[in-house]
Amino acid sequence: MKRRINLSYYLITFILVCFIAIPLIPLVIFSFSYGWKWPDLFPDQISLDAWAYVFDFGSKTWNSIMTSLKIAVTVTLINLFLALPAANILGRMDFKGKWLLEGLFYAPIIVPAFVSVMGIHMTFIQMGITDTLLGVILAHIIPTLPYMIRALVISYNTIGYIWEEQGKVLGASSFQCFFYIILPFILPGIIAGCSLSILVSLNQYIITFLIGGGQVMTLPLVMFPFISGGDPVIGSVLSLVFMIMAGGALLVMDVLLKKYYVRNVTLHFS
Amino acid sequence: MKKFTIISIILVMAVALIVYARTLGEEESPNKVGTAEEKKEILKASWNEVLSQAKGKKVNIYMWGGDESTNRYIDEWVAPRIMKKLEIKLNRVPVKDINDTINKLLTEKQVGKDTGSIDIMWINGENFLTAKQNNLLWGSFSSKLPNANKYIDLQSPAIKNDFGEPTNGLEAPWSQAQFVFTYDKAKVLDPPKSAEELKAWVKQNPGKFTYPAPPDFTGSAFIRNILYETTGGYKQYERPISEQTQLEEKMKPLWAYLNEIKPYLWRKGETYPESSSKLDKLYADGAVWMTMSYDPSHAANEVNNGNFPKSTRTFVLEKGTLSNTSYLTIPFNSPNKAAAMAVINFMQSPTAQIAKADPSIWGAMMVIDPTKLNSKQKEKYNEINRGESSLPVKELMNHRVPEIPAEYVDFIEKGWKEYVAKE
Repeated sequence: MKRRINLSYYLITFILVCFIAIPLIPLVIFSFSYGWKWPDLFPDQISLDAWAYVFDFGSKTWNSIMTSLKIAVTVTLINLFLALPAANILGRMDFKGKWLLEGLFYAPIIVPAFVSVMGIHMTFIQMGITDTLLGVILAHIIPTLPYMIRALVISYNTIGYIWEEQGKVLGASSFQCFFYIILPFILPGIIAGCSLSILVSLNQYIITFLIGGGQVMTLPLVMFPFISGGDPVIGSVLSLVFMIMAGGALLVMDVLLKKYYVRNVTLHFS
Repeated sequence: MKKFTIISIILVMAVALIVYARTLGEEESPNKVGTAEEKKEILKASWNEVLSQAKGKKVNIYMWGGDESTNRYIDEWVAPRIMKKLEIKLNRVPVKDINDTINKLLTEKQVGKDTGSIDIMWINGENFLTAKQNNLLWGSFSSKLPNANKYIDLQSPAIKNDFGEPTNGLEAPWSQAQFVFTYDKAKVLDPPKSAEELKAWVKQNPGKFTYPAPPDFTGSAFIRNILYETTGGYKQYERPISEQTQLEEKMKPLWAYLNEIKPYLWRKGETYPESSSKLDKLYADGAVWMTMSYDPSHAANEVNNGNFPKSTRTFVLEKGTLSNTSYLTIPFNSPNKAAAMAVINFMQSPTAQIAKADPSIWGAMMVIDPTKLNSKQKEKYNEINRGESSLPVKELMNHRVPEIPAEYVDFIEKGWKEYVAKE
């Protein structure tokens, strides 16, 4: 029995890896080759030109990566701050009109974010925060916050109040209750929410362009001209850079949160 | 007590976040200069005054950012020279489609934001028309530029009018482009010289020709060129579209032509490449034997990159192919108009234009009149090796027709969808 599970496990992993990795292989090869022609299986010459261009044009790529990450991390922190209380109520309480409130919170997932951003653009102009990092960060909250709330609501759903009440009976403060009882329970949700928030923020093009006005250069802004009708080789280099950046950001976040979990949470359980 | 601590922690965090966000905001805020009245003064000021006002400013130039040579020309050739000569910092902002920038300006105009972030835009055609109609452009500055007056034939119709629309000096000519067909000499021995000959060639070589589906820029230009060929020249379209009677009737030969070649196209015309870069890929792979471009040195650049075979050549039609001029313009709310004028003037200078025309740097056609160059500049210009794949400038200039007014473009693209693609 065990053997069969193992076998199907490997089989599924193998199929998944194939699905994810195989389309990436041509992208990698393509990024090293001007003039890779059908029907050649491999390009006849390897060229680093596109990579050299991406990493030497006045450090625009590096700066845009840093800007992208700066925005994504700040947005995610703000989201966490906003979503925790909201999810606490939505996930554990029942009250009149809850469906309406939930609907409003999740609306940006269904309504394309740039629709609301068009209106916000005017307000932001009046407030004088267009073309600034602050404006872009605020605008990125719109499409990312619903994912954070959704992930946390599900976590809160599973806890209920019993554990917290138990803690309180034993004399824990609300603060201690949150850190030692609630947090360990919802940490998987936080990881999921933060991952989505970071990814969705990193992916924004239209919102960043509209509010940032080209003054806030994120990686998608540098990349889009190349992948939509521009130089395809540079486009594939930038796509790979984007994937490495997004994957790296997720990995770092995951490792940090898990470390925190192991150090601060499991100790108190044992 | 405990509640108090929690509340104060939350408050401190909130304040810290706001302060942090503020510092982020300040870091990138655009430099604010001058009021609206002061800016109007610049147009009356002497050129030396403009230059002295321009010193030490930062100019943001918004332009399509999908081509390595174009980007490199601005970043590595123009920007350092402007820094050295004019003490202006030039910042290139790449955009996917300059139309996005026009939309940004439309909103800013609506709200009344008079200090924007765009100092220079690279536009023409429909985008110019939209910008002009909505008063998004600053003013008639083009004739104030010394280099424009000295080297550019501002009265020539191809420069005075942008896709048939009078520029009124709202934009300064910067570059030129001409539509060319690209073919592989090894496969196509005798390239066609007219739409009729092209049709015959397509029929003889089924599956070896196609064109990008509009609204792709290049595909749309191909159809306009065929329009001229099949309906008797460009002159009749110089009138505004509202004065045309029976335009639908007039277009019929065009749709008939395109439908006639359709079954002989790549994949029997059931589908079209969505962009000119997709068509280029098909050509590079040898799936089709011809491609096309609105940049006459594009083929030579692709040969140099190793994308196109060395036997690649270009041709134009006997009766001429479309050509257009593209311009640099200053939006109404540019915070550094004097500096923008200084930069544009530099970009129109013979040195900058000759470098731009050199395929080893970029390879875009000069907008200045070669006959107005001095002998040294002429020599330098003639030395440029445009590569075997490009046609000589003379050959191009003798076979060019002007663009159709921008309002027709949309009409033709809709017609293609209805009568040819039949979606």
